[in-house]
Amino acid sequence: MKLGIALTAAALLVLALLPLALSPYAHNLMTLSFLFVATALAWNWLGGYAGQISFGHAAMFGTGGFVAARLLLAGALPAPLAWIAGGIVAGAYALIWGHPTLRLRGPYFSIATIGVGEATRLVFTYWDRFTGGSSGLSLPMVPGAKRALYWEALAFLALIVLASWLIRRSRLGLALFAIRGDVEAAADVGISATFYQDLVLFLSGAATGIAGGIYASYFSFIEPNDMLGFDRSISFVLMAVIGGVGTILGPVLGAVVFVLLRQFLVGSYPQLYLGLYGGLLVAVILFEPLGLMGLGHRLVRRAAR
Amino acid sequence: MLRVEKLSRRFGGLKAVDEVSLELGREEILGVIGPNGAGKTTLFSMIAGSLRPTSGSVALEGLLISGLPAHRVVHKGIVRTHQIVRPFANLTVFENALAGATFGADQTHARVKAQEALALVGLSERAADLPGSLTLAGRKKLELARALATTPRVLLLDEVIAGVNPSEALEMAQLIKKIRAARKLSILLIEHVMPAVMTLCDRVIVLDAGRAIAGGKPAEVVNDPLVIAAYLGSA
Repeated sequence: MKLGIALTAAALLVLALLPLALSPYAHNLMTLSFLFVATALAWNWLGGYAGQISFGHAAMFGTGGFVAARLLLAGALPAPLAWIAGGIVAGAYALIWGHPTLRLRGPYFSIATIGVGEATRLVFTYWDRFTGGSSGLSLPMVPGAKRALYWEALAFLALIVLASWLIRRSRLGLALFAIRGDVEAAADVGISATFYQDLVLFLSGAATGIAGGIYASYFSFIEPNDMLGFDRSISFVLMAVIGGVGTILGPVLGAVVFVLLRQFLVGSYPQLYLGLYGGLLVAVILFEPLGLMGLGHRLVRRAAR
Repeated sequence: MLRVEKLSRRFGGLKAVDEVSLELGREEILGVIGPNGAGKTTLFSMIAGSLRPTSGSVALEGLLISGLPAHRVVHKGIVRTHQIVRPFANLTVFENALAGATFGADQTHARVKAQEALALVGLSERAADLPGSLTLAGRKKLELARALATTPRVLLLDEVIAGVNPSEALEMAQLIKKIRAARKLSILLIEHVMPAVMTLCDRVIVLDAGRAIAGGKPAEVVNDPLVIAAYLGSA
């Protein structure tokens, strides 16, 4: 436990000092990675802890991103407050569709989230006045802001790692793990599945929305098909599944592997990459459902023998 | 303590439970017996709040609890165990008990309560293991410990003895008596293993095809011609 905290602190320190030595390309890639790791962890609160696999988290990423972008364009709020406002709206939106659908479990819930994600994408694509339609929104570039955003994204990631750990150890975490284990047995020990699932979906949606807002600020241009595409929702699932659902280190590793893989695949096989994602997802679930963490445990056990 | 009045549940045209009434006294063990399909588990599900009754009522110490969702019924002090054990397979034995203690009727000192419940059923040494590594008897004890950790006043036990070997069955029966004495609990017990029913229960009621057809002391009930007909068919 102490070792984990020490390693996490050391990693954060190295990452905080890194921009001094990075090329602009690597700087972009790192910032993007922080946001992806954070969203993978936030997705994991619902998907890993509670076992409710959402294929619609891009809806909250997009909602948070566009709300924050609109607030920034209106000059209404300073950036961090705009991101938080976007996050709260995204969390509230998650509750609106999540409260009725979370009583479904397993594939039924997942299918519902696909519908929500796609419906939200379509609404955003045709809602010109709010999202700029398919031509999107451009945010003014502020000199030096990218450098600051690297650290802001890193700080956000640190908060999400801390939150993941706190949730896991809290009453909420115990309730979610019990719900994942057996939702009816959970009710039979006094756990309200509705309350705890709604709560974690709000938190997960809000964190994903905040990531969307930071993403919008960093790239200073957003459009609905990028923010809310189905491949974005899939990417959240993939990062957590590659790494190992239900753990904290898993989604972190998964997101790093995912970002590297994506750079390579989008560059080399732009038409094929979605298919390759799908293949990867199937392979992980078939051969190592616990992802890299499961693989790691297996290797450690083998070495110990 | 617990008063069930004219409780019924229909599934379409089938009356799974048909106007069953019963009263469970303080620190009493009341057995619910009857052939398969008699509606015993359905009765339990309605009392525990996981199934809504079609009609009738359930009251705990005069307080109406029928209509409450399952988790609220637990908060009022009634907890059930399942015929087919349902441990949280992804949590350790201790965390299973902790879940009961954390979300049960009395949520103070959850860790202590979880440890006490495990100690009572004799699972303290397995606290760090996963439920999957326990024997069936062990998992039944865990189910019991998790229920006890919720600090219930009324325990609904659905076939906690059936399915284990004879020596374990004896041990379970003694455990149930010990639990009643230690926790001053009132227990409603579904059971098929007749020797256990005979020794454990203060009274029994017999269900057949959803109706309560007999009730009384165990020794009287097993000689009731109606009960014999329900089990063996009438001549």
